[in-house]
Amino acid sequence: MGKNHTEKSIDLVLMTAILILLFVGAVMVYSSSSIWAGYQFNDEFFYLKRQILFIGFGLFAIWFTMKVSYHHWLRFSLWIYLLCLLLLIAVLIPGVGLVRGGAQSWIGVGAFSIQPSEFMKIGLIILYASLLPKVQKKLKHFTKGFLPILLFIVVPFGLMMLQPDLGTGLVFICTGIFMIFISGAKIKHFAILGGAGIAGFIGLIASAPYRMSRIHAFLNPWEDPLGDGFQIIQSLYAVGPGGLMGLGFGNSMQKYFYLPEPQNDFIFAIIAEELGLIGSTFILFLFFVIIWRGVLISLHTEDISGSLLAFGVTTMIAIQVMINISVVIGLIPVTGITLPLLSYGGSSLTITLFALGILLNISKYAKFPVR
Amino acid sequence: MKHVSMLTVRRRLIIVFFLLAVYFLIMFGRLAFVQLVSGDEIMESAEDLWTRDIPFQAERGEILDRNGEVLVGNTVAPSLAVVPKQIEDPEKVADELMSIISIDREKLMEHLTNNVSVEMIHPEGRKLSKTQANEVRNLNLPGIYLAEDSTRFYPYGTQLSHVLGFTGIDNQGLAGLEASYDDQLSGENGALSFFSDAKGGRMNDRSNRYTEPADGKKLSLTIDAEIQAIVERELDQAVATYNPDSALAIVMDPQNGEILSMATRPTYHPNQYQSVSPEVYNQNLPVFNTFEPGSTFKIITLSAALEEGLIDLDKDTYYDQGYVKVDGARLRCWHKGGHGDQTYLEVAENSCNPGFVNLGQMVGKERLFTYIKEYGFGKKTGIDLEGESSGILFKEDQVGPVELATTSFGQGVSVTPIQQITAVAAAINGGYLYEPYVVKGLYDPKTNEPVMEREPKLKEQIISNETSKEVRRALEHVVSKGTGRGAYVEGFRVGGKTGTAQKVGEDGNYLENNHIVSFMGFAPADKPEVLVYVAIDNPKDTVQFGGVVASPIAGRIIDDVLSHKNTDKQQGLEKEYQWPESPPVEVPNLIGETTNDLQQYLSSLAIDVKGEGEKVISQSPESGTKVKPGSTIRVFMGE
Repeated sequence: MGKNHTEKSIDLVLMTAILILLFVGAVMVYSSSSIWAGYQFNDEFFYLKRQILFIGFGLFAIWFTMKVSYHHWLRFSLWIYLLCLLLLIAVLIPGVGLVRGGAQSWIGVGAFSIQPSEFMKIGLIILYASLLPKVQKKLKHFTKGFLPILLFIVVPFGLMMLQPDLGTGLVFICTGIFMIFISGAKIKHFAILGGAGIAGFIGLIASAPYRMSRIHAFLNPWEDPLGDGFQIIQSLYAVGPGGLMGLGFGNSMQKYFYLPEPQNDFIFAIIAEELGLIGSTFILFLFFVIIWRGVLISLHTEDISGSLLAFGVTTMIAIQVMINISVVIGLIPVTGITLPLLSYGGSSLTITLFALGILLNISKYAKFPVR
Repeated sequence: MKHVSMLTVRRRLIIVFFLLAVYFLIMFGRLAFVQLVSGDEIMESAEDLWTRDIPFQAERGEILDRNGEVLVGNTVAPSLAVVPKQIEDPEKVADELMSIISIDREKLMEHLTNNVSVEMIHPEGRKLSKTQANEVRNLNLPGIYLAEDSTRFYPYGTQLSHVLGFTGIDNQGLAGLEASYDDQLSGENGALSFFSDAKGGRMNDRSNRYTEPADGKKLSLTIDAEIQAIVERELDQAVATYNPDSALAIVMDPQNGEILSMATRPTYHPNQYQSVSPEVYNQNLPVFNTFEPGSTFKIITLSAALEEGLIDLDKDTYYDQGYVKVDGARLRCWHKGGHGDQTYLEVAENSCNPGFVNLGQMVGKERLFTYIKEYGFGKKTGIDLEGESSGILFKEDQVGPVELATTSFGQGVSVTPIQQITAVAAAINGGYLYEPYVVKGLYDPKTNEPVMEREPKLKEQIISNETSKEVRRALEHVVSKGTGRGAYVEGFRVGGKTGTAQKVGEDGNYLENNHIVSFMGFAPADKPEVLVYVAIDNPKDTVQFGGVVASPIAGRIIDDVLSHKNTDKQQGLEKEYQWPESPPVEVPNLIGETTNDLQQYLSSLAIDVKGEGEKVISQSPESGTKVKPGSTIRVFMGE
């Protein structure tokens, strides 16, 4: 567990992809938000200025985690997890948690507020990376290993649903399950879990009617174009007209109040609209580079905890990207999560860069076959 | 141990990576589909979302006469269009607009603040005058637009209004040709589209799109505007003179069925159709009206008898004793005492009812009704105008000797003016029955290329050329020597036939002193170029007799139309002036006679009727006075 003496430089390919995405993100946050910003604050640079500030925070976060050896995180994994859990409980206390957009997901004041569920994702990844290698044998046993391990996912997920924050919860649960999966849990157990998952999913939908209407709106967006189908239609109205080359930078029509808060969850729609299939594919490509490098780092890290940690971070980002873009292009119903590195927002960006810093730190120890 | 578990981790890692890669491919596929394949379709609906349209009306097609004269044109009359979201201060805008158009303030405010993308101020802001439009333009208010619009313009005013019809506020055809050719006349509207944000604000940095309206087709008619003017003038004069219940006239080219003119009284101006009752604008009398034709129908009977070879106009004779008994019924001739011994040419000249009863009996029920049907009576002619009636004939199995007899001289059948003129055209043009029509063709407004062109439609030949020639000869005699003298035109050979038909009242009985007087005339008699039918319904203060009221009108129309057509003058039959050589006539005692009875004196005297009433109560000069033939006797009606 000591310091690995084969420490090398960080993965520059990964770093480059991250920096390009950050840059594109800042530019596109400006382009997509300028109209709203001008309307709301009489300052078209309002969101850009704050995003640059957030990127500053984020860069500090990535620098920090890049420098700190990932082993430290593993050592304090349980404490980190419990702290996150505490925050997740705190956010539910009236007066402590802030309600934004119908969900009580924030703690803090103004721009300096955070989303505990975002932190919980990291907390779980660190905990599992440390814990799963130790319980690999027990994991094969359904009641003694598989189910107790699942509790680390289930409890925070339940808390997230109380906010409610289905989007983050979905990323959280998928990341956790993938980590259990690659740690060697039995496929059979996942089948049982899948059955329970479907039942739970139905239960969740039944408990909140708005989720049902979102699914219905997804299947028939044109039935109620001003109601639940609104966001899907407005998103497609951006993506479709983009065509191959796009309307050109700054020329989005949908950002003119048609698509609500285009700098947030639907920033990819504006990218597709202004930069066309070429631009949107380039973004997909950059994210895929992150995933590819992440998997490569994970594969070539001899330390199984480091490998799991790298995989967890990579999977978390991959799933969040896939869910966000799938919503934008109409593949799945609206869930309400940001696009990592691109969407406007401090909490999400800082956490993402924090996680990527850990991945970069692990990359120092990875033994790539050929460089 | 550790090594094995690491292998599992790596194997499963690659599985997960593979799954992620596949899902990225799916996302790329979906993205490409949305952006490349369904992009155009989405773009179309998206543009509907992004743009607000200020409508540009297509210019409605003009309606032209046979020589290209504009009968119905358009004048620019812009309309107010409002984009409420762009109005900064509705109260102020309302003040400004109310100084230009007259509209209720509350109503205007409603328009200005309505939550729609584009609002038309309807109808108060529609079809503005030039001054109004300029004032609006000068205000230069954001959110207030002038949408190009136009209104129908009628250079000839009320002329031909029943045929042309009229349009509503949205330039939609509501009656006449405007309605029946609405699809071709209206064209496709265009629009000026400007981009707008979701809050309705106009986006000035994006160029507007102008979709050019496709103008409507030009409609070309067989009508001749000059002939129409002649006919309208004559009907106006007839209305002024006789104050009839209604009046109508048709001018047709008998050689092909083209309608050269068609007019109705009472009439209306198409721009002010609301100011008359719907009966006025809905009833195009030449095709709508059905009535007993009276003597003009005798042309049909005569042509049937001639075609069947039953008589020789000059050699065969008929003795008229003033009436004829049919099946116990006594059918009187209009001339008291009868016409005596006459050739059949004279029977026609004198319009002698017993003579025509005799002709009808010779032809026989079956053959006569076959001719009547072949000539097109009892069914619509198929003219390309709305509101045509089909008329009523006796059912053949109900035709007894009396019905046959009255049908022979035009009573007991109900026909339309267009049926009559179409039938007579066939009788005088060599026997060829054409379908009457008014629409010559449709033309592209830009290129003038024909979109549709109409040729005359020959239905069938009913009588031979020779028979037709004899019919023309007989009818020319009617005008030069007989009851149609009023239509005689110096220098032209005119043929024709008068008609005086009794009207049937609501109770089914004939009305007293209420006739439709008519004249059917054509010229030149050897090769007819023009056929005119005039009917005046219930003329007042006159003897209600076709020869008195209708023939002079028809004569003037024929004279002016032939001059307009530059038809060569020729000498035909001399008009027979009976009176200069004749001995003086004794003024009869007219006291107690009805207006009907007065007709019989008209061959030698003119009668000037004054007063309201059914019977003559005084006359001047007194009875027994000897006067020159043709002198005027004044009578006063009373009781």
